[in-house]
Amino acid sequence: MNSVQPIWDDAKESKMSCEVLIIGSGAGGAPTAALLAEAGFDVLVVEEGRWVEQGSVAPFSLDQMDQQYRGGGVTVALGLPSIAYTEGRCAGGGTEVNSGLYRRPPTEVVERWQDRWDVRDLDPDELMKTAAEVETDIHVTHLPGPACIPSQLLAQGADALGWKNDESPRWMTYPDGNPRHGQRQSMTRTYLPRAAKAGARIFTQCRVNKINISHGKATSAGVSLANGQAGTISFKFVFVCGGAIQTPAILQRSGLRKNIGQTLAVHPTVKLSARFADAINVPDDVPVHQVKEFAPDLSFGGSASHAGLIALSLLDQWSDFKGAIEDWRNMAVYYAAITSEGRGRVMSVPGLVDPVVTYRLTARDRELLRSGLSRLSLLMLEAGATEVYPAFRGAPIIRGRKDLAIAQKRFSVNKASVMTVHLCSTVPLGENRQLCGADSYGLVHETKNVYVNDASLLPDAPGVNPQASVMAIAVRNARHFIAQEKPHA
Amino acid sequence: MSVLPSLRSLVRVTAVTVLQHDLPGLPDVVTQEVASFTVQRLSVLAAHMRLGIAAIALFVRLFASIAGQPRLLWLSKTHLPLLGEYFRLIRSLSYAYIWEKWPDTRSDGSPA
Repeated sequence: MNSVQPIWDDAKESKMSCEVLIIGSGAGGAPTAALLAEAGFDVLVVEEGRWVEQGSVAPFSLDQMDQQYRGGGVTVALGLPSIAYTEGRCAGGGTEVNSGLYRRPPTEVVERWQDRWDVRDLDPDELMKTAAEVETDIHVTHLPGPACIPSQLLAQGADALGWKNDESPRWMTYPDGNPRHGQRQSMTRTYLPRAAKAGARIFTQCRVNKINISHGKATSAGVSLANGQAGTISFKFVFVCGGAIQTPAILQRSGLRKNIGQTLAVHPTVKLSARFADAINVPDDVPVHQVKEFAPDLSFGGSASHAGLIALSLLDQWSDFKGAIEDWRNMAVYYAAITSEGRGRVMSVPGLVDPVVTYRLTARDRELLRSGLSRLSLLMLEAGATEVYPAFRGAPIIRGRKDLAIAQKRFSVNKASVMTVHLCSTVPLGENRQLCGADSYGLVHETKNVYVNDASLLPDAPGVNPQASVMAIAVRNARHFIAQEKPHA
Repeated sequence: MSVLPSLRSLVRVTAVTVLQHDLPGLPDVVTQEVASFTVQRLSVLAAHMRLGIAAIALFVRLFASIAGQPRLLWLSKTHLPLLGEYFRLIRSLSYAYIWEKWPDTRSDGSPA
């Protein structure tokens, strides 16, 4: 039995207190909780979702969507086109449900954050050292054997074109050495048990509605408990770590709006499915190879590809593509992701529980998505695909290079299924008061004790899977907080 | 008063109509199960999305009652913003459910 001992409880007490309240238990909140608890702070972690044991739901399934994602996995940034996104809503947050791929932020990205947003003491070398510590803590490693076939095909196609590609490491352990039997080292397996061991309390199904702030000083939070009752948590410090959508929404509901929720950054993604002569589908895993030839503007990779997701990828041109679904075992879904110049907004609206999210792609983004899908189609042909099915209305079936021009001509982003899983930058950190919602260590401007420590802080999208950036910055900020506040505690 | 009951009934009729057209081989009992799943999923969306869907669903039902059921299918193939996304959402949830639960379902919806 691999399950961890229960270290959590559903929130039921209507009045609670602590020294440090941490809202959210994902890639930002969990390491913050562990470090602060180990430093001797009285830490209380509240998580809106439930604790779901790893292995109790099938990965990438509708059941998982139901149990571990906000809105059952159906959340949308409104726009032309609207962009579907997903948010983890469970103990451990997105780390429980994402692909588990790990990429350090590129040095030039960190330097850009330092310069443009005026982030104090964000030394790239120091941040990489912190990232290395995180990698040890969450067991970042390469596969102990060959990657799954869809991953190998992606690499083969890239190699045939001479395009740079590599295997992304993951936060996984492989107890029996079998690359198919990886165990995700997410927050419920790593930092949350550490936090609990050091004395932190972890309450699930506890939603923070508002932080009560007076003259810049927060004193308590109004919450909804698991039993539906209202409650209050009083604290000395609060860390908001609800992710790039919920964190700005909580701050806005609490009356904090300056540079909060106005600069949502994502990696917009378009998809295709590729059909091969032989069975290649792996329903419960994702490819680990990524193609970085055109990075940071454009990256290619593989997606979860069970039969239900293959059907989804064929949906936009179902009348022509539907026959392929009967051959789903020979198919896999791949994506082209871009670094977007567009920006979105997160707006908390009085009377509505969830914030309204919008996103606007620029003309450059649209062109990049067009060329990305075309290049990805070419790559799949080179990988040996017999047919490629781009996910947009009016798309042709691509059987050879001559079809690429037709597909590119017919493509329009407004006809495509655009989605993203990487959301960040809604409370950018730094000293530039024109751009930033928090200071260089996450203290929200104009407040004395309200901190943000999650993906919201990244000044813009890093162009790679962002979890490494989120965790390294969260650990850096937590250590700074400890150094500042521990002597006074 | 919640808009949920009316939303459920409005979406359910549309989902069944679309499924019967798109997947004529889908057994009736399965069509009903899939429609129930789709309606249930839409009922847990964010409040503003539920409100938007309720408004579109109401428009679609009014349109179908005036223009007739076949015209509803015509409407489902238009790609107007919001309206097109409503039908796409219904199809997305339904198709994902069908092929995740019964992966060998044929392209016309008939069982393998």
